[in-house]
Amino acid sequence: MKNKFILIVGLFAATLFLSNCSDKLEIEPNDTVDADEALKTSADVEALLVGAYSALGDGDLLGGNMQRDSELMGDGGEVFWDGTFVEPGEIYAKNMLVTNPQARQTWLDAYAAINICNTVIKNIDLVTEDRTERVEGEAKFIRGLLYFELVKEYGRTWIDGDPSVNLGVPIVTEATTETKVNRSTVEEVYNQLIGDLTDATTLLPETNGFFATKYSAHAILSRVYLMQNNYENAGIQANIVIESGEFSLNQNFSDAFNKTSTAATDRESNGNATSEDVFAIQVTSQDGVNNLNTFFASADFGGRGDILIESYHFSLYEEDDARADMFYDDTYTTKFNNLFGNVPVVRLAEMYLTRAEANFIENTSLGATPIQDINRIRFRAGLLPLTSVSIDDILFERRLELAFEGQQLHDLKRTGRDVGSDPFTYGKLIFPIPQREIIINSDLDQNDAYTN
Amino acid sequence: MNKNLLLTVVWLVCISIPGFGQERIVSGKVTSDDGADAPGVNVLVKGSTTGTSTAADGTYKLSVPEGKNTLVFSFIGYTTVEVEIGARTVIDVSLETDATQLSEVLVVGYGTQLKQDLTGNIAQVKGDDIQGIPVASFDQALQGRAAGVFVESGNGKLGQGMKMRIRGASSVSAGNQPLYVVDGVPITSQSQSSSNADTNPLTDINPNDIESIDILKDASASAIYGSRAANGVVLITTKRGKTGKTNFNLSLISGFSKETNRKEFLNTAQYVELLREAAKYSGEIDYIESRLTRNGAGNPNSWSDPTSPEYVDTNWQDQVFQTGSFNQADLSASGGSEKTKFFASLSYSDQEGILIQNELNRLSGRINLDHQATEKLQFGLNFSLANTTNKRLSDDNAFSTPMQIVALMPMTPVIDPRTGLISGALNNNTGTPNGNYPVYYNPLLDAAYGERTTSVFRNLGTAYASYAIAPSLKFRSEFGYDLLSQHEERYFGKETSRNTGFPNGWATDAWTRVFNYNTNNFLQYSKTLNAIHSIDAIVGMSFQESLRDFTNVEGQQFPSNSYKELVAAASITAGLTRESRFSFLSYFARANYKLKDRYLFGISGRVDGSSRFGAGNKFGFFPAASAGWILSEEGFLADHTIFDFLKLRASYGLTGNAEIGNFASRGLYAGDAGVAGVPGQRPSQLRNDDLRWEQTAQLDIGVDFGFFNNRVSGEIDYYVKKTSDLLLDVNLPATSGFETQIQNIGDLENKGIEFVINTVNTVGEFKWNTSINISRNRNKITNLDGQIIEGDFLSRAVEGEPIGIFYGPKYAGVDPSNGDALYYTVGQDGITTTTNDVNDATLMKVGDPNPDLIAGMTNTFSYKNFDLSILFQGVFGNQVYNGGGKFMTANGDFLDNQSIDQLRRWQNPGDITDVPQARLFGANGTAESSRYVYDAGYIRLKTLTLGYSFPNSVIAKMKLTKAKIYVSSQNLLTFTDYKGWDPEVNSDTYASNINQGLDFYSAPQAKTITFGVNLSF
Repeated sequence: MKNKFILIVGLFAATLFLSNCSDKLEIEPNDTVDADEALKTSADVEALLVGAYSALGDGDLLGGNMQRDSELMGDGGEVFWDGTFVEPGEIYAKNMLVTNPQARQTWLDAYAAINICNTVIKNIDLVTEDRTERVEGEAKFIRGLLYFELVKEYGRTWIDGDPSVNLGVPIVTEATTETKVNRSTVEEVYNQLIGDLTDATTLLPETNGFFATKYSAHAILSRVYLMQNNYENAGIQANIVIESGEFSLNQNFSDAFNKTSTAATDRESNGNATSEDVFAIQVTSQDGVNNLNTFFASADFGGRGDILIESYHFSLYEEDDARADMFYDDTYTTKFNNLFGNVPVVRLAEMYLTRAEANFIENTSLGATPIQDINRIRFRAGLLPLTSVSIDDILFERRLELAFEGQQLHDLKRTGRDVGSDPFTYGKLIFPIPQREIIINSDLDQNDAYTN
Repeated sequence: MNKNLLLTVVWLVCISIPGFGQERIVSGKVTSDDGADAPGVNVLVKGSTTGTSTAADGTYKLSVPEGKNTLVFSFIGYTTVEVEIGARTVIDVSLETDATQLSEVLVVGYGTQLKQDLTGNIAQVKGDDIQGIPVASFDQALQGRAAGVFVESGNGKLGQGMKMRIRGASSVSAGNQPLYVVDGVPITSQSQSSSNADTNPLTDINPNDIESIDILKDASASAIYGSRAANGVVLITTKRGKTGKTNFNLSLISGFSKETNRKEFLNTAQYVELLREAAKYSGEIDYIESRLTRNGAGNPNSWSDPTSPEYVDTNWQDQVFQTGSFNQADLSASGGSEKTKFFASLSYSDQEGILIQNELNRLSGRINLDHQATEKLQFGLNFSLANTTNKRLSDDNAFSTPMQIVALMPMTPVIDPRTGLISGALNNNTGTPNGNYPVYYNPLLDAAYGERTTSVFRNLGTAYASYAIAPSLKFRSEFGYDLLSQHEERYFGKETSRNTGFPNGWATDAWTRVFNYNTNNFLQYSKTLNAIHSIDAIVGMSFQESLRDFTNVEGQQFPSNSYKELVAAASITAGLTRESRFSFLSYFARANYKLKDRYLFGISGRVDGSSRFGAGNKFGFFPAASAGWILSEEGFLADHTIFDFLKLRASYGLTGNAEIGNFASRGLYAGDAGVAGVPGQRPSQLRNDDLRWEQTAQLDIGVDFGFFNNRVSGEIDYYVKKTSDLLLDVNLPATSGFETQIQNIGDLENKGIEFVINTVNTVGEFKWNTSINISRNRNKITNLDGQIIEGDFLSRAVEGEPIGIFYGPKYAGVDPSNGDALYYTVGQDGITTTTNDVNDATLMKVGDPNPDLIAGMTNTFSYKNFDLSILFQGVFGNQVYNGGGKFMTANGDFLDNQSIDQLRRWQNPGDITDVPQARLFGANGTAESSRYVYDAGYIRLKTLTLGYSFPNSVIAKMKLTKAKIYVSSQNLLTFTDYKGWDPEVNSDTYASNINQGLDFYSAPQAKTITFGVNLSF
């Protein structure tokens, strides 16, 4: 009896001992990778860089909502918000609440993407030497582009008051989890992003598949200088893109839209879906999202049909304008009818328009005269050439050519024109700083129009 | 009689006093009141220490010393019987079940305990009490039946997730659901749904297989489950066979159900009046009239001319509510020989919901076996297999969910006269949808052209062996597993493209497999010394590992609706697999000591290690101690006849919470960031090496009492649960690149009091018993490091307040002079004024979804062959936020049909009302605010059952041992002030720890009436 007892207790103890393999508690994730293991090679950092493009193309950023919000907030009777989502409705009504989920999500996603860029730059030493410049250039391009979008959405526009006093957005250029960062001035943010984009123009190659090239950076820079009313530099940047010879206008206006890239990893050539894209967000049936399709296209084309084009807009087109054919049901634009089509960010056509505007204001003819550039755009649209142009003609052409592509609000603001019935300085033509950020960091200042 | 296998307390009293003179040998057989053999019954010679216990077949034999003439038969759970021996040598006895609750046997972790000896707090619900109730899962049947246990089903869709809070929510970001343990195996109880709306894995368990549900509430009861016990533990014990003849039980139930309530919306005339008024204010008359016509299927007569035959007035709720049905058939058999006992069951249930397209059916079988191999060695197994198929509805926030049909305009016809098809279906002539008609996607299209089916195969198995090393020492080893295999199929035809966003059909196919296994190995020691010292102890270990695999494929472009499998999808648009696992390694011990049947002491501890925590904090220790004093055993009270039983008890202990992500402490990267075929990665989580257990310290003080001959008995408990080192998703500034990080920050507490009172009101032919439970829990977040954690709408976690309060602008009604919606604003001088700009409103607490009080009252009556049971359940003092308010109760702000109360809108200067002026697109009062907070306490007639048992004289002829017919209802009556569909609500889209009491087009509960028959033979 006693022996048996000892035997059983011994067995029990053995069971306990055998079970005490504490490695049973060492379980590694399978879906994800430990951060310590994620960045060890050049390929790891380059994959992270692709992650920055993926973040940039998020639906809340340049995957469509940033462009959509510019069109909705900048509207003066050309579009009608017919959707049920509350957050774009508030943007369209130019009456956002500080809790507006879009204001929150744009901010969160943009800084998450910036953090990826910062992490790429921090780990640049891991990258194979012949790729270091390109990788750094791409990270700086994305970072600069995002700061540009952020400062436009959350800060007063450059020509509204004193940009060295007006608050822009917090600047973070280090991969860090340091917590509270306060807002820099609009001027400081512009200096930062111009620095990034300028660096990108020298670091990036001329071709890079469908990823950013030095011309992508020049093109964004031309927009940045336009926002600052720095026409000379805007013209110079646009001219570089045009003269590069890397891009050409599609023969038909409609060919500039609804295209999908084939998975081109060949960086020796331009891998964009059309010869006109200087930079675009890549969408395929399996990756990426086209939120302009979501909001502008009808259900027949996979959208929600939330944004209706008003008859006033149709009335702007001259007879025979090919761009006037880009509508259906008398209601929707066809520009975004491919559920899995790329989202254009900068097209070559814009460079002609920018150069024309800059040359006109500066009274120069860098690359071409304003009238030549405008007629080039008109010719492609199937219109007769003009014999003379005014600044209003140039801006009007720009509106028609770039309609619903996200430039509306900012083009109005930089030229000091009214937005609908509101002056361009109206305080609710910028987003509120998200309430969640102010709760976390009470030193973060809210925009004036959203405080008591 | 051997009603509980785990019950191992067998008293072996040695014959220590040699007899003098003549001894008699007495033998006999003991049976229980249901006729089964009763093994293990203590048989004592009164006034001596001589005794024995009955064998497996209930027989006994003992010698009775000279001069003794009485035998005492006792067994826990049964009334003790004293029998005069007289001249007899054979004495057969039948034991009656003890009606008083104090003699109940409760299941505790790794053992059982007599309620009388308990020093902790455990609520037990018998399987018999919840059988035959027409619910999808047993947890739903617990509503109102246990003090301190708050059960809420978020909506009336079948198979949806349930909320159970035992003594309040103990966490802000980690899980708040209890640990469910079935026959010793912690089962997979978390939703496996791919959509936001949870499913309930407890649905796979046949409620009729359940012998008892024991809810461990205080720390002394639950700490043996250590790191996962802070939210309480629910132990489910399935039925086992008894020695004796084979009993068959057949139960058939059939019934129907309706929604508990409807909400009233505007008819066409009212809608047209309100919307034209709203459009007039906004200068949009042309717009609104064009929309009215468009939505009247293009026919202006549909809304403008009530006399026209083309006038339309659709009540859309009629289109989605249906009479549901409930059918269930159960057949079980149990019995066994001395050595081998079994319980086997087969069950099929089939439910149709109160909303179109919603179905749930379950086919399940079980076999539980016990075998006594030798006197010392026993082993057995449990095996169950269930197949549950749920035809689901889309989430509450989808246009396709049936309840959102109420947003459609009343002049829209159900069938579009232009196409002869459901409004919004493809126009046969053009092959395209009718554009933007009706105003929203018509959910009827989803019912006609889409389906969502979730099918689960669930296999629970356990095997055990128990070896008696010595009379007082046993070793028990258990191995169990829970295998859950789920297949989710969805198909939507091109007719649904307005909702799916995919023009030519869309389907998804997802497989989930969760394999969760567990082993428990422990020694049990039980000994009574000199009838004074009684010791019960266990020590052992446990290991659990759970592995989850998930595969999902999506495709588009189907040739026609005849093809629904992805093999026919011309474009495969997504495919992914995921795999994740976790493990727990634990060591536990417990000792209970009883002195002189009146002083009780308990101590327990568990060392828990989990793969989920950081390297330095993998293990946690969770001890508990408790004591009880049975005053009624004391001499000074024994003379006072008022108390039959009185016990004071107290317990204190630590429990933990580990319901966080499997790799929550790690810094992680995810590889899902590719672009157009080029692979990419992204940081997905910040690391926190210091992450450790969230810890809950709980004090419980209680008293158990019984007086007036135990006609009145009950218990009162006061508890304080303090949780520290909260596992909190801490908000980070976005500039960090992350939204949140899980950190151990913050504290919260739950304090409460619970009353349970059971009374026997009448005895005799007419029997009336009452059981009441009332409990109050106050939850308070004491420290969040100054943060406000946001949920959806106004739901927040705020310091100093209960979790999930509604926090936001306070609605101040309507400005009588201009119809503006007003909100309160508190200036810096502390003076409250009103403003019509909601951005200027001061944010404050405007409601609380946590009830002040929950209660249940059961009355049971029996007279002759009739019995009647009535359960009322009440929830008091809570509020609900209607997240759909800004659409449906928005004074004509947009095109949604409006709730009937919007007719009260302000119209002229001087009007006093709480509904602002109707302004199309005017956002007049539509911001999230207390305007949409409603009182939502309620009292429900939860269950009412009237039964008739056929008399023995009748059924004996039919060779039956029992025959009963009954009619039963669930949710028959609801008393509430709530203005929505049903006050028991939490939207499936949003439900979370913080998001509580949110209504968002949530389906009301079902009101069900069933007819049943029970036959035993």
